[in-house]
Amino acid sequence: MTSTPTKPQPRARRLLATALRHPAVVPLGAVVLALLIGAVIIAAAGLDPLTAYAAVLEGSLDPRQLDYTFSVWGFICGMALAAAIPLRMGEFNLGGNGQMVLGGLTAAWVALNVPLPGILLVPLAVLAAAIVSGGFGALSAPLATRFGIPIIISTLLLSPIAVAVVSYLLRFQIGEAGSAVAQTPRLPDEGRMWALGDLSYSNTGLLVIIAMMVAFYVVDSRSAVGFELRVVGANRRFGAYGGVRVGRLAFGAMAAAGAAAGIVGAIIVMSSPYRLIDGALISPGYTFAGLAAALLAGGRPALIPVTAILFTILQVGGASMERSADVPRQLSDVLQGVVIVVLALRTVLDQRRTERSSA
Amino acid sequence: MTSPSAAAVTGEPSAPAVELVGIGKRFGAVVANDGVDLVLRRGSVHAVMGENGAGKSTLMSMLFGLLKPDSGEIRVDGAPVQFDGPLDAIAAGLGMVHQHFRLFDSMTVADNVVYGAEPTKGGLIDRRAAAARVRELSERYGLETEPTAVVGSLSAGARQRVEILKALHRDARILILDEPTAVLTPSEVTSLFTVIRRAADAGTTVVLVTHKIHEVLAVSDEVTVLRDGRVTGRFATSEATSASLVHAMTGREIDEVRNPGTGTPGAVALEVEHVTVGDPRTPAVHDVSLAVHRGEIVGVAGVSGNGQHELVAAVLGTVQASSGRIRLLGEEVGSRSVRDRRAAGLAVIPEDRRGEGTAVTLSVAENVTLGHHRTAPIGASKGLRRGWMSIRAERARARELIADYDVRTSGEQQPIGALSGGNAQKVVIARELSHGAPVLIAEQPTQGVDVGAIESIHQRLLDYRAGGGAVLLVSHEISELLALADRILVMYSGRVVAEFTAAEATTARIGAAMAGAAEAAPAPDAAAAVAPAPTDTPAPEPETDRTP
Repeated sequence: MTSTPTKPQPRARRLLATALRHPAVVPLGAVVLALLIGAVIIAAAGLDPLTAYAAVLEGSLDPRQLDYTFSVWGFICGMALAAAIPLRMGEFNLGGNGQMVLGGLTAAWVALNVPLPGILLVPLAVLAAAIVSGGFGALSAPLATRFGIPIIISTLLLSPIAVAVVSYLLRFQIGEAGSAVAQTPRLPDEGRMWALGDLSYSNTGLLVIIAMMVAFYVVDSRSAVGFELRVVGANRRFGAYGGVRVGRLAFGAMAAAGAAAGIVGAIIVMSSPYRLIDGALISPGYTFAGLAAALLAGGRPALIPVTAILFTILQVGGASMERSADVPRQLSDVLQGVVIVVLALRTVLDQRRTERSSA
Repeated sequence: MTSPSAAAVTGEPSAPAVELVGIGKRFGAVVANDGVDLVLRRGSVHAVMGENGAGKSTLMSMLFGLLKPDSGEIRVDGAPVQFDGPLDAIAAGLGMVHQHFRLFDSMTVADNVVYGAEPTKGGLIDRRAAAARVRELSERYGLETEPTAVVGSLSAGARQRVEILKALHRDARILILDEPTAVLTPSEVTSLFTVIRRAADAGTTVVLVTHKIHEVLAVSDEVTVLRDGRVTGRFATSEATSASLVHAMTGREIDEVRNPGTGTPGAVALEVEHVTVGDPRTPAVHDVSLAVHRGEIVGVAGVSGNGQHELVAAVLGTVQASSGRIRLLGEEVGSRSVRDRRAAGLAVIPEDRRGEGTAVTLSVAENVTLGHHRTAPIGASKGLRRGWMSIRAERARARELIADYDVRTSGEQQPIGALSGGNAQKVVIARELSHGAPVLIAEQPTQGVDVGAIESIHQRLLDYRAGGGAVLLVSHEISELLALADRILVMYSGRVVAEFTAAEATTARIGAAMAGAAEAAPAPDAAAAVAPAPTDTPAPEPETDRTP
């Protein structure tokens, strides 16, 4: 503390200040802080944090597990898209669960009821899921522009309604008769996602999600709509003044977000065990993990696959941490939560920064 | 605009309240301040002048604790100080009124003024005492405001009065005013100068950061001029002249642009008929009609907050007129979207550069692209490339405009928020003028812009007119309107209350109309004449308002 020279100190400080201003500092800091807090919690429970974290890594990156890890990464990426597209224009889509479940229901219904060969049935089911969920997501845009209900609120409140309706339908209307669990019958072979070689978890659905991410990247960086999304996200009044039709843009963004979530739902339902089971889409927490990944990436398309890796590791590794280190898997949720809280602080920091640079 | 006040201090110079010694500050490769010395004498008004980017704001930010100097020393009352933040500076008796407002939009005027130093009663904020305090301060200093009004609903000028009241409420001994007149009207400027003079006479040290020469001459006692982060001139105001100040600021002389006059204006390009904006009972714009012809600059004068901004918003389409018609080139556009109106031939330079005219976090290139992103060369309006953008074309065009408009930036990828106000304004103007739209609305186009840049912006507007453009120029600077406009309308309380041709218009007549038409204000300069008069009683103690 009582370091000697007076001259080099401001310089070192300046270097440090410049380094701290790097855009990667806050997201990385969020992750490191989350891991430290997690370590404290684990240690407080009398367990060894290093063993626990090692178990997380081993469990998720075990070569025999990679097939499963990749499929989860795909779902988290898909749900990250559902959050990131509106986030680009400064809106929060918290309705991923409802959108995903509606997509799953639609895909299941199409696969069970439409008599078509698989080559047509699978795309049709996915498309139908995208349309229904996209429509459901887009509902929030007119609610915001016409009635002034913020998108963050309407998505959050509409989501449980959709989840409850699907749950009701599964239990009392379209569920498999005679089953103890509320679930649809098994989808016919024609209505299942095509396999990728002999992998048992990852299938063509993963390729669909990767294609969606590529599409988002291209639209975001190269298209007029992507430009408008970024402009509105940076300053809504500036966008409106410049002639961006903000209401329509929100409609499109929410429709695309809903569609992405619906497609994830469809892919999950059309993958093993090939049925829609009540609560099965929501319980793994892909929506929240995807939201966290999108926030950590700041909505930037190129970063989402990277940030999604982190949450995939937590998600998949959480289970093996529970098994081998006796740490409850809920700790992964805690870590996700800490990351989000730290990122919320980033908004405040960013604001200060722009104020200072203009001073 | 204002008559010069008794600026020169009589008697011997008082002791320094603040001394800045050898202050240096760098931002990356940019040297913002380099060995700046500044002495502020107690009870004096000290003007700090310089063009945009000369380092005035940086220097003041360091004095107020917002930034830390890389080198040098700050002394308050002779003792060296180190400010870790504005709170330290406030505790040391400094107060700052920022160029960009730092207010809570959703809170009332009174809440904003007392924020951080609230009068309390039984542990709760005493709202009545706060309102009384605001009323008392605003009456004492002639800063008209309504304590219960919500700040978000106020005009730029009114918000600034709140900022000033806020510093006054804290009884700052050293008051820093950063470009305080940028959003004020002539009469408001006059009363501000009265406030400044009164405060100085009562012993407050006032720092006036500005680039307006007539203000410096009118109100200051001493002047320090900065250029490129260094001190290039120190004057007692009584010995300074416009020429010497301009020379110190720019290193060259400036010729003011004068309206060269035009031939007969062409066809009507913009027509506003009986337009009313807002709640019909208390409309912001009340039954306004006007027409702008091709090859004509029509000026709109008025005190900030008299409906000019709402009128512009209604023409642009960001706000819907509640009644009336708006025609662009003969086409009715009153119910069309902003995009359609712009496509029909409208460009707008907005008043609020940071809030509406730019997105500070986006790059210069992105800021100069909005509105051009769906048309060639960046986008395409038809064919296969419709809806897609060429990043290469975007950057090339941005670089071209940066060169053309002499924007000082490290490159087109730099965030526009890092540019000085004048350079950011050049980006806005480049974007809007490059539409080549027949109708241009320029709202305060030279606000917060330095002398050299004002000249070039004025020249651009005149060129625009010469090219057959129709320009609606909204300005609070009468001199600007006199220099450019062919006709001048005056707005007061949402109505057009007077119209002058360029030949008829004088500062006095426009000023009278701005103050509320014929019945008000016998002479516009009457207030100015009061300015130098010494004030009798100093401010009463604020404690009298705070019930224990």
